[in-house]
Amino acid sequence: MLSRRPEQEDRTGSPAVVLSGVTRVFGVTPALVRVDLRVERGESVLVRGPNGAGKSTLLRLIATAISPTYGTGSVLGFDLARERDEVRRRTELLGHRTRLYEDLTAAENLRFFCTLYGLDAEAVPAALQRVGLAEVAGERVRGFSQGMRQRLALARLAVREAELLLLDEPYGGLDAGAKTLVDDLVAEAAIRGATLILATHEAAPGAPATRTLLVEEGRASEVRP
Amino acid sequence: MTLLRQSWAIAGKDLRIEMRGRYAVGLVLPFAGTLLIAFGLSLGPGRALLQQTAPGLLWLAMLFASVLAFRRSYESEGEDGALEGLLLAPIDKAAVFLGKAAAVTAQLLALAVVVTLLVAGLFGLSLGSQPGAVAGAFVLGTVGLAAIGSLFGVLTESSRAREAVFPLLVLPLATPILVAGVRATSVATSGGTGAGSWLGLLAAFDAVFVAVGTLVFEFLLED
Repeated sequence: MLSRRPEQEDRTGSPAVVLSGVTRVFGVTPALVRVDLRVERGESVLVRGPNGAGKSTLLRLIATAISPTYGTGSVLGFDLARERDEVRRRTELLGHRTRLYEDLTAAENLRFFCTLYGLDAEAVPAALQRVGLAEVAGERVRGFSQGMRQRLALARLAVREAELLLLDEPYGGLDAGAKTLVDDLVAEAAIRGATLILATHEAAPGAPATRTLLVEEGRASEVRP
Repeated sequence: MTLLRQSWAIAGKDLRIEMRGRYAVGLVLPFAGTLLIAFGLSLGPGRALLQQTAPGLLWLAMLFASVLAFRRSYESEGEDGALEGLLLAPIDKAAVFLGKAAAVTAQLLALAVVVTLLVAGLFGLSLGSQPGAVAGAFVLGTVGLAAIGSLFGVLTESSRAREAVFPLLVLPLATPILVAGVRATSVATSGGTGAGSWLGLLAAFDAVFVAVGTLVFEFLLED
């Protein structure tokens, strides 16, 4: 599990996510427009919206994969622009792309991930068992189906207790068993107090949500119950 | 985790991928061999001319082959968004540059051994007089080439025209290394003096390119 360095700063009193007037432009196309968002720690937020609405951009921005063109923000008390590594240390983004190396085996991919995050690689066999890939742990990802690749990407959630989980269409392309696995991992994260932001265009995902955010044409609005 | 350990992890990952894919053996080495044979045929059968031009041909083959090796180094990162995984990892981004450069250096050094033996056999290049200086030129030259390739590989990774843009950026910057490498090899294989100053120049280029890469890589990798 992720071990904190002694000098790491803890800002537990701050909200999980705060965005103020965040705009992100790709070329001349705005993907997010003046988004204001506040997510408290421990919340489970469902981000809904059609394809191309800006959901993925919102999640990638919170994960610090991309920067805001305008506006400011903080994640778990750390500034999105100036303290990116502190945000990254505490956040896990499960996106459209699996971020796997085709010529490494399933176990090697996960061990490399553990090395990058300073995690104990002893958790790798159990994580592979958890996602149903223990029998193919020594096989190269190149021969995996898309569903197997997504399961391997999910194993990252099993080896690491991130404080903020950003799940972008986590159910896409998964069979019923794998969807249940996503739900289980999400439920476990919620129980240990992690904050969840789950983006999906599906009508009724299995994940519990305390709030729903609607993103349309780059603009975010709260959906009142 | 220290910068060194992070760099080592990335270099190890790249070398493992290379060994599995056998890209250097399957494509880069045959490309270098074909290039050398084409050079030899274009120059004709004159033994003296071939011997005289051998150091230049050797380094040109290394340079062109290294462009393929650089591209391969970043291809695996682009296959399924893996580069974003490195970006999002809480590591010193200079480790990505240093790890990639170290892995490419190891590959290029292995390539240099084979290409040098090929040139010695095809063009009669003598390695007997100062083999240490020849080896030094290749070690220093490949470090510099690997630093340039690893730095600009990330810059062109997101470019749609990366196959064309990458050589356009890398080849002009690699020219000083090419010149110094050719001169050092030429002096060393002909038994002349002064190879040391060319080796010193190569070491200076290495220091500059490695330092620049370590300092600016993060800005190239980040959005």
